[in-house]
Amino acid sequence: MAMVVDYKHDSSFPYWTSIRRRFAPDSPFFSSGNIERELLAKQVALDFTEDERNQLEKMIDTDARGVFCPIVGCGARLTLLEDFEDHYNTRHTASCSVCSRVYPTSRLLSIHVSEAHDSFFQAKVAHGYAMYECLVEGCDLKFKNYKGRQQHLVDKHKFPTSFEFFKKAHPSKKQRLKNQRKRAVNKKDEEVSSKMEVENEMMEGLVSAVSKLSTSDSSPSTVSFGRRNARGLTFVPRSVQPPLQKK
Amino acid sequence: MADDSPASHRRDPIKSSVGNVAAQRRRQNAVTVGKERRESLVRAKRLCRVGPSGDGDVPGEENDMVTDEEGFLLDAQTSSAVEDLKSAIAYQGKGAMQKRVNALRELRRLLSKSEFPPVEAALKAGAIPLLVQCLSFGSPDEQLLEAAWCLTNIAAGKPEETKALLPALPLLIAHLGEKSSLPVAEQCAWALGNVAGEGEELRNVLLSQGALPPLARMMLPNKGSTVRTAAWALSNLIKGPDPKAATELIKVDGLLDAILRHLRKSDEELATEVAWVVVYLSALSNFATGVLVKSDAILLLVERLATSNSLQLLIPVLRSLGNLVAGDSHTTSTVLIPGHEITDGVIKVLVKCLKSDHRILKKEASWVLSNIAAGSIEHKQLIYSSEAVPLLLRLLSTAPFDIRKEVAYVLGNLCVTPSGGDGKPNLIEEHLVSLVQRGCLSGFIDLVRSADIEAARLGLQFMELVLRGMPNGDGPKLVEQEDGIDAVERYQFHENEDLRNMANGLVDKYFGENYGIDE
Repeated sequence: MAMVVDYKHDSSFPYWTSIRRRFAPDSPFFSSGNIERELLAKQVALDFTEDERNQLEKMIDTDARGVFCPIVGCGARLTLLEDFEDHYNTRHTASCSVCSRVYPTSRLLSIHVSEAHDSFFQAKVAHGYAMYECLVEGCDLKFKNYKGRQQHLVDKHKFPTSFEFFKKAHPSKKQRLKNQRKRAVNKKDEEVSSKMEVENEMMEGLVSAVSKLSTSDSSPSTVSFGRRNARGLTFVPRSVQPPLQKK
Repeated sequence: MADDSPASHRRDPIKSSVGNVAAQRRRQNAVTVGKERRESLVRAKRLCRVGPSGDGDVPGEENDMVTDEEGFLLDAQTSSAVEDLKSAIAYQGKGAMQKRVNALRELRRLLSKSEFPPVEAALKAGAIPLLVQCLSFGSPDEQLLEAAWCLTNIAAGKPEETKALLPALPLLIAHLGEKSSLPVAEQCAWALGNVAGEGEELRNVLLSQGALPPLARMMLPNKGSTVRTAAWALSNLIKGPDPKAATELIKVDGLLDAILRHLRKSDEELATEVAWVVVYLSALSNFATGVLVKSDAILLLVERLATSNSLQLLIPVLRSLGNLVAGDSHTTSTVLIPGHEITDGVIKVLVKCLKSDHRILKKEASWVLSNIAAGSIEHKQLIYSSEAVPLLLRLLSTAPFDIRKEVAYVLGNLCVTPSGGDGKPNLIEEHLVSLVQRGCLSGFIDLVRSADIEAARLGLQFMELVLRGMPNGDGPKLVEQEDGIDAVERYQFHENEDLRNMANGLVDKYFGENYGIDE
């Protein structure tokens, strides 16, 4: 019987270990069995029908199994665990119609759309306006460039240094091969903060074309979800630093 | 109404003729009413509505009090009955005893009429001190019985109502003695069981007043409703969280023997209550667990699981087995040795539970299996090659959430070697590959998508096994096929830092820039 023997031990991941699990008699693990015991005992006296019993059990179950949505800033109460998937699909899959990236809130989606696909946004940036919003709801600070905002997130809001708001979406295999060939040709490491797709194409053209822009606020309307805004939002390190090319 | 004699409190004849409608109303109320009533349904206390000799109101024929009007009437009748009891006790003349018994009987009837008896009214009218007086030593059996019965139903209600029994406790305990008639002892045990079921504080009072030894002795006979009631009361008394009572119980002379005897031979009703005693013994007391593991208990539990179809019995029996496996490493290392008949027997009955229709049996059987699968490699091989695996795989995709979580534990445990001292388990590639090929990965990825932290953690941990352990580097591809990348990427905006780090660790390691590029 083959075993995969020791691999490079990466100390940060909590690997699956098989251990015995013991529960105290009043543990929530046992509660449905305990409820069943009492219901069965009283069933005779009260003469429940099957339907009524199921209804009762569901009522009791529901109370016990409610949970709050774990997506940052949401805090929606889900009465049943099963509701989470629906809730997630309804509330946390705002997808960009241009590039299909998905964001967990409309606000983040809006910010993405402005920063990645809006030529006027880029034009304003070029003119020195502070356009890059802080991602933390309620902070309201704006920055003149992506890096500046990034630094703010790290310094002020304790984001991990490797966090990337604008990250590469998962390219198709074809695209990956293309990219690899390109990199081999260029022979340089890409910058950690990946360049905006829009930037190169639009920048040169726009800056010259646009003279004066109205200062109408093009920042997206913020939609607030849930009640937990007061807590510091800590985003994730989704580090897409390309590892050094192996040959 | 105050001067009506107790006997004339008859139900309005018109109401009793619409039995069906009333029964319907009663059921409706039981199901759709508010939180309080729902809680009373799952309370660990039991109303006594039929006496030991079969007398008393038969449930189902009387209308339960549902309207406010009827409730008000019942309260008034109850206060009145208490008044009558008071005067009966004070009366010193001829036929005093009969008078007292009659008054008690009437009060008892009022307190047994429905699932929601007029306890508050009785207490307010001052029933307790009177009932305590009726429990005095030397009182005739009938009087003791009726008084204890009243106290039983008073104790079956809300916490403050149960607490009202405090003055009566020493007497109730005293009447458990071997000199008492069986029906009296049983009724006292019932009342005490309700008190114990209320909570830790009252349990401690009872224990310090010496309730345990006489109740334990009541379990020693071979059969009878008294044995059953005593077992039930004991299960409430020892349920902790302090393990002391459980440890004390198993040490009572002859008790282990009696438990084994009942598990082996008694009818299912009695065996059920005894099994609950074992549940608490095995969950709370390491000492008791050790004693039980060394005895025939496991064998007897397996027998019951194999032969019974009563959910009421199966639940505590299965849980006892589970507690014995979980609570003591000796169970898997010295009793349930792979290859031994008893071990095969255990696997077999657990499989039977997995096949059952009952959610609790499926969930707790999976839990037990997960603990056996946390044993030696031979244990894992045993389960892996048993009938359990196909069932578990199916449950992983179709069962309700709480079952799926337990199933995940079993399957994952089958795929890693026992944890050594340094905590770096290795994979059992054969098991992992086979299970993944049989389609378990999507079930784990579903767990990653859930809002439950523990489940998500399990899912991510299993994904890690797959990513790391599938041969030929197939892991990432397989995960991608099941939309695993998407599931993991959700964690970017998840509150839980632990999970975020896990998820990102996986993505960075296995789905980085070079992902998918052919070597």
